[in-house]
This record gives sequence, structure tokens and C-alpha cells, in this order.
Amino acid sequence: MYGFEAISMHNGWAMALAGALIVFSGLVILSTVISQLYKVLDFFEDRINRYKAKRSPSANQDLSNQPESKSDMEKRFLDDLDGVIDKYKVASEPLGDTFALADLYRLAREMDAPHPHLTISYLKQHNFLFPMGDGIFSWHQ
Amino acid sequence: MEMLVQFLSNTGYYLADYRHILMLVVGSIFLYLGTAKRYEPLLLIPIGFGVIVGNVPFFKGFGLGVYEQGSVLNYLYFGVRTGLYPSIVFLGLGAMTDFSSLLAKPRLMLLGAAAQMGIYFTLISALALGFLPKEAASIAIIGGADGPTSIFLTAKLAPHLIGPVAIAAYSYMALIPVIQPPIMRLLTTKEERRIRMTEPTREVTRKERLIFPIVGVVLCCFLAPASIPLLGTFFFGNFLKECGVTNRLAQTARTAIIDTATIFLGFEVGASTQGDVFLTAKSIGIFFLGAVAFSIATGSGVIFAKIMNFFTKEKINPLLGAAGVSAVPGSAREVHLMGLKADPSNYLLMHAMACNSSGVIGSAICAGILWSFMV
Repeated sequence: MYGFEAISMHNGWAMALAGALIVFSGLVILSTVISQLYKVLDFFEDRINRYKAKRSPSANQDLSNQPESKSDMEKRFLDDLDGVIDKYKVASEPLGDTFALADLYRLAREMDAPHPHLTISYLKQHNFLFPMGDGIFSWHQ
Repeated sequence: MEMLVQFLSNTGYYLADYRHILMLVVGSIFLYLGTAKRYEPLLLIPIGFGVIVGNVPFFKGFGLGVYEQGSVLNYLYFGVRTGLYPSIVFLGLGAMTDFSSLLAKPRLMLLGAAAQMGIYFTLISALALGFLPKEAASIAIIGGADGPTSIFLTAKLAPHLIGPVAIAAYSYMALIPVIQPPIMRLLTTKEERRIRMTEPTREVTRKERLIFPIVGVVLCCFLAPASIPLLGTFFFGNFLKECGVTNRLAQTARTAIIDTATIFLGFEVGASTQGDVFLTAKSIGIFFLGAVAFSIATGSGVIFAKIMNFFTKEKINPLLGAAGVSAVPGSAREVHLMGLKADPSNYLLMHAMACNSSGVIGSAICAGILWSFMV
């Protein structure tokens, strides 16, 4: 049996439609959950910190350990921009004069540099990292 | 003299027919593509050599062939037949995958879902061409562009098709640089290919990366429990990587374990393509449908990205849709290169990897769904 007759006979239309809907709904649910995950985590961390602060005055210090805001982070980053660039330059020495951003990112992760993705993006956007083509970069002299 | 004649009549030279020769040529082409052209060498070289070994003609009954009980090749084939090797490959894959870019932009996951449409289109096409439902499902999963998933599902539903399905799936994965770019060019304008993706505005925390595999395995496997052998090990491998206290295990999973499984999987799949059982009209049909499945998967991802752009303020580069197939990292690399051609300073790799990893999850869910439908 061939053609539409075979598809209908084996429930092909229903299987295809249901299968597509299930996989779509599964990934939509998963993406929705993970898009809210950081908010839920922040909420619980905030609650825990408040609870600790109430329980013991010494825990008040923990509140200062809360994640800093984006503007604070940017200010701190710009204040120490030269230091950050030096740190990244030293880290990239083993890679040679030219390197892929993925390698630089890996090294930054290895040396526990804060916010490596954002930092490298900033360095790229502000031409501290100079594109040589084919995804290869060098430090702007 | 009689002994000599008997010996000669048992040699491969005497027993060979045109099918063996043809498959030896196919195996050699795979080795050439893997070695000289560097098309997916980690896959094509074990498969290519397996094809050559599997197509050395031998006297049936010696206990030599992959389909003969008690032979060494048959023992090793156990891992293919039962779906063991694909599960182990998924463990290593999980231990290699960094979900940070996906966690930073979860909506890219939808492109991984869209690219699975090739699977269902091919399911219908295979049924229309006269394949039985279990065979059609095994062929359709080639559209996921995921070799281990294709082998896993085919081993469960239509074990007699493992050879052609695996060879088709891996061939198309290796031919990504040939198949995907024309489709991407056809479906996008130069302006669209130049769209820059915004950088994530926040850093993904370790806690998020740690919780994701648990949430992922629960949500996906509750929805399609038949995908447990793949997604269970996949997310387990990722948890080993992210938890930070099992670095030795994660390191072993992403190196020695996945390498061992890949060697045996590739070699055994190649060896299972014995000319006399492999070269049939069905195999040709499977190759044709596999190409259709893979092309539609690529196209549906790109088109879905364009549709998303109608409804969202933050535009998505539609090339990313092509990375929604789960050929990791080949399709992400191809998307990145095509983006660079349109705009040499547009780097799509991280975003494409997000789509790619969601494609892996999507195709494993599809395998689970199809298996459930056929039980």
C-alpha cells in the first residue's frame, strides 16, 4: 500500500501531528522553566539572606554579598579596565599573538575571572580585541 | 591438491561479488572524506574501516561475520543492537556540553524544536512510499541529524535497517558543509544573515547550570519516558560536569568513555553493512528519504526563526534555525561561517551552539515519542 492510503491506514497524520506538538510543547515548557529559573533562585537567595540577617546580626554582612547590580558591576569593571586588560593579556600569552575568542574565554574561565563572557564582549566591541578574520583575534597594539 | 582447491574456494577473492566490491569502494570513500577532506573524521574513519572489514567475503558458518552468533564482531555488535553504545555516547556528550549560552537565551530552544519537523515530514513520506510504520519511524529519525539517536531508535524498532539508517545519518552529518549552506542561502536574504544577536545581559550562575540537568531530565523524561536511555545519560553526564566535585568522572566520560563507544559504534555499524544484506532497494529509499529529512529539518528551523522575528522585538538571525538540528558541532560551525561570510564581524557560534544543544534534546525526545507510538 502506498500514498495517502498508506499514511491514513497507519495513522501517519495523527502520529506526525501529535509528535510535533509533543516535542514542541516539551521544549517550550523547558525553555519557559529555565527562563524563570534565575528569578526563582534569586528570590530564594534573597529570602535566605533576609532570614539569616534576622537570626544573627553578624549575618548582616552576608547581605553585602548579594549579587551586585548591573550598573555597579559596570562601574567597577570600568574603574579597573586597565587591570582587566593586563590580566587577559597575560592569560592569553600561551595562545600566541593571534587566538580564537573561545580559547580566550576558556582561559578566563580557568583563571576564575569574573564575568568572562561580558568582559570579552566589551573588549571586542571597544576594539581592544582586533579581528584578524576567520574568527581569529589579536590584541590591539 | 584437493585441499588447496578447497582453501582457494574459501578465500575472499573467490567468494567476492560485485556487492562486496561496491561496498569496499564506499568504505574507501568514507576513509578518503574523513582523512583528506576532514569531514567528521571521528565518525567516518571508524565507519569506513568497518565497512571494509565487514565486506571482506567469508565462508558462512565460520563464526566470523557480524550477524553470526558467537563471532567477535557479533559480540561487539551487542552494543549497537541493544542501544548501549548510543547511551554511552550521550553520557560523554552531556559531559562535554556547556548549556550556558542556552540558559542565557532560552528562547533559542524553540529553534531546536522547529528543526525536528523534518522527522515528522519524513515519517509521513516513508509511510507513503510503502515502508512499515516501525521502519518509517526509524528512517524519519535521520531528520534529527543525530547518529546515536538514529541507531538507538532503529535498534529498537527495525534492527534490520540499522546499517542503512546509520550510514545515511552519519553520511548526512558529515556532509553538513555541502547540504546546509545552499538551503540557508535559499531561505534567507543577505540582510537577514547580517542580523546581530544581542549579547546576554547577565552571567549564567553556577546554580542555574547545576539545576538545569535535573529540571531537564525530569521535564523531558516525564513527557517521553522512552527517551530515558538517551536523555537520562545525557543530563547525568552534564551534571557530572557542572557539579564541580566529580571532575575525574566528567573528564573520563568526555574522553575515554565516549571515545571507546564511538570507536565500537562506528566500526560495528560499518561492519554491519555487508553488501549482500545492505545493497537493497530499501537502502536506496532510506538514503533518499534521509536527505529529504535532513534538508527539511534545516529549512524548518530557518523558517521558524523568520516567523519568530514577526512576533519578537529582539530579532533572531534566521541562520540559527539551521543549527537546530542536533549535529553537534558541525551545523553550529556552518551557521557561524555563513554568518561570517555575510558580516565578517558577526559571531554567531555561541548562539548556534545553544540551538545545537537544544536540537540534541529535541531529537532524543522525538526518538522517545516515536518509540512510544510504535509499542
